[in-house]
Amino acid sequence: MIKRILQKLPASIFSRERVLGVSKSRQKYDLPLAASTTNSFLRLLIALMSVLGLLALSASFALSAMTHRWSEGLAGKISVEIPATDSGGDVIDPSLVKSMTDDVAKILSAHPDVKEVSITEEKKIKELLSPWLGENMVMDSLPIPGLISVTMDEDGKTDLKELEAKLRDVAPRARIDTHESWLTDVVRFTGALQFAATLLLVVIGATTLVAVAGGVRSKLSENKEELELLHLMGASDSYIARQIQKHTMILSLQGGIMGVVAGGIVLIGISMVAGHMSINLIPEFKLSALQKIILVGLPIPIAMLAMITARYTVLRVLTKMP
Amino acid sequence: MIRYEHVGLRYGIGPEVLEDVSFTLEPGSFHFLSGPSGAGKSSLLSLMYLGRMPTRGLIKMFGQNIGEMNRDQLASIRQRVGVVFQDFRLLGHMSTFDNVALPLRIQGRPEKEIKNNVTELLDWVGLGDHKFALPSTMSGGQQQRVAIARAVITRPRLLLADEPTGNLDDEIGFRLMALFDQLNRMGTTVVIATHNQQIMNKFAHNRLILDKGRMHIEEGTKKGGLRQRLEGVY
Ligand SMILES: Nc1ncnc2c1ncn2[C@@H]1O[C@H](COP(=O)(O)OP(=O)(O)OP(=O)(O)O)[C@@H](O)[C@H]1O
Ligand SMILES: [Mg+2]
Repeated sequence: MIKRILQKLPASIFSRERVLGVSKSRQKYDLPLAASTTNSFLRLLIALMSVLGLLALSASFALSAMTHRWSEGLAGKISVEIPATDSGGDVIDPSLVKSMTDDVAKILSAHPDVKEVSITEEKKIKELLSPWLGENMVMDSLPIPGLISVTMDEDGKTDLKELEAKLRDVAPRARIDTHESWLTDVVRFTGALQFAATLLLVVIGATTLVAVAGGVRSKLSENKEELELLHLMGASDSYIARQIQKHTMILSLQGGIMGVVAGGIVLIGISMVAGHMSINLIPEFKLSALQKIILVGLPIPIAMLAMITARYTVLRVLTKMP
Repeated sequence: MIRYEHVGLRYGIGPEVLEDVSFTLEPGSFHFLSGPSGAGKSSLLSLMYLGRMPTRGLIKMFGQNIGEMNRDQLASIRQRVGVVFQDFRLLGHMSTFDNVALPLRIQGRPEKEIKNNVTELLDWVGLGDHKFALPSTMSGGQQQRVAIARAVITRPRLLLADEPTGNLDDEIGFRLMALFDQLNRMGTTVVIATHNQQIMNKFAHNRLILDKGRMHIEEGTKKGGLRQRLEGVY
């Protein structure tokens, strides 16, 4: 096409001139996006945000696992205590406590809503008590209450007050404990922590968003002339936005991967330390396969968020050009 | 093809730089745009390549009222206009080749076609050895040739040039005028802003003359094709 024009013209008369600086490889982007300090700033910032995001997200996972296990483990479970003292505070004969416990267990077993009944052995109770009282204190002389663990049917519509009254016929001070009040507190507490973790995630996301928008804006004003030129050559808004959003996405992906690797190391460290603590209260911190995938894949939503923000920012800046 | 009716332009709250400008450019016409420095030549060109919108008046390009177009339509109009800027506006991070290829890439042309056409044109403007040179390493005249090559590479329907011969010696200036003339013969409408009396006299095209924001049109003094005169030159 150009040939048709050129062949109608006299041959070139320009003399050959010496060539100085060269750039052989085609530039990836029409705007000089590659050479900019904004790049390393943005990458580092995204990396840090990813570390925080990873930690907040795994904390949220751990908390929800904790709540789930606790309420799962305790659902439908009640325990019945037959105190070793009478209403006056005097110690009851241990054999009487034992027979009362057996009677109560019999009534419970006969109840249609009860699935399983097990009397906690004296030895086990002593074991449970020893950390608090010390080996030596837990002597045979110590009054040991009767403890019965009961598993109820799942639907849990049983009237426990009525059941308790029935039990008191054979053991006047028998007491049903549903763990409910304790569980409610725990669930409320972990719920609050989980809310905090989620809030943290939102703040991290918003910070990333603002930083990316700012980074893109500063990049655009750095390259204002080039941007204007592309616009004047008839580059559509989305043509220009595509380049910047692609560049931002790649940067964010790099930053995100850096962050997830660093955050992953921190997490592994934490779980190793926690593993050594052997606290029975805290259910083991184990992530499901899905949760692991979400954590490892965290750079992807981050890069997407950054990309969408970049696109939106470019389109906004471009509307200032006619 | 291009029609201006009572067009005015002001920058911000300043005075009107262009006042009530009206003219029509027929398809395939060739005009010089002249007038003293500060008369508004570059401003008028910036309206013509849709770098700005007028503050008043009606502008029709290629039969469409630009005031009624959306952004994508404006972009597609811009793709049909080639511009040689007074200050070249080459992209410093790109080689000569990529600078000239840019409008074709924006238009999404196949890379093979781009390679052939750009190489051919760069050879013709004498920059075949400078394909990979960065603009900053080239002389003003060389940069201007890159700018001109970039403006004509798409064979635009409208070619605008702002002092395209300013940095070139007469011989090279005439050669580039011959390139514009050839494009014009093949259907491109051309408007060239220039102070260069010699060039205007040599190529007797109609003149749009701007003075203090107002325009009048002078018919070309000489009639006849450019080709005969060119053959005299070379
Ligand atoms: N971006 C701008 N902002 C404000 N005023 C401007 C701007 N560009 C040009 N002007 C003013 O508009 C007037 C016309 O300028 P313009 O550049 O169009 O003249 P010109 O005919 O191209 O001059 P020259 O021959 O020196 O290139 C001048 O008074 C100039 O100061
Ligand atoms: Mg000017």
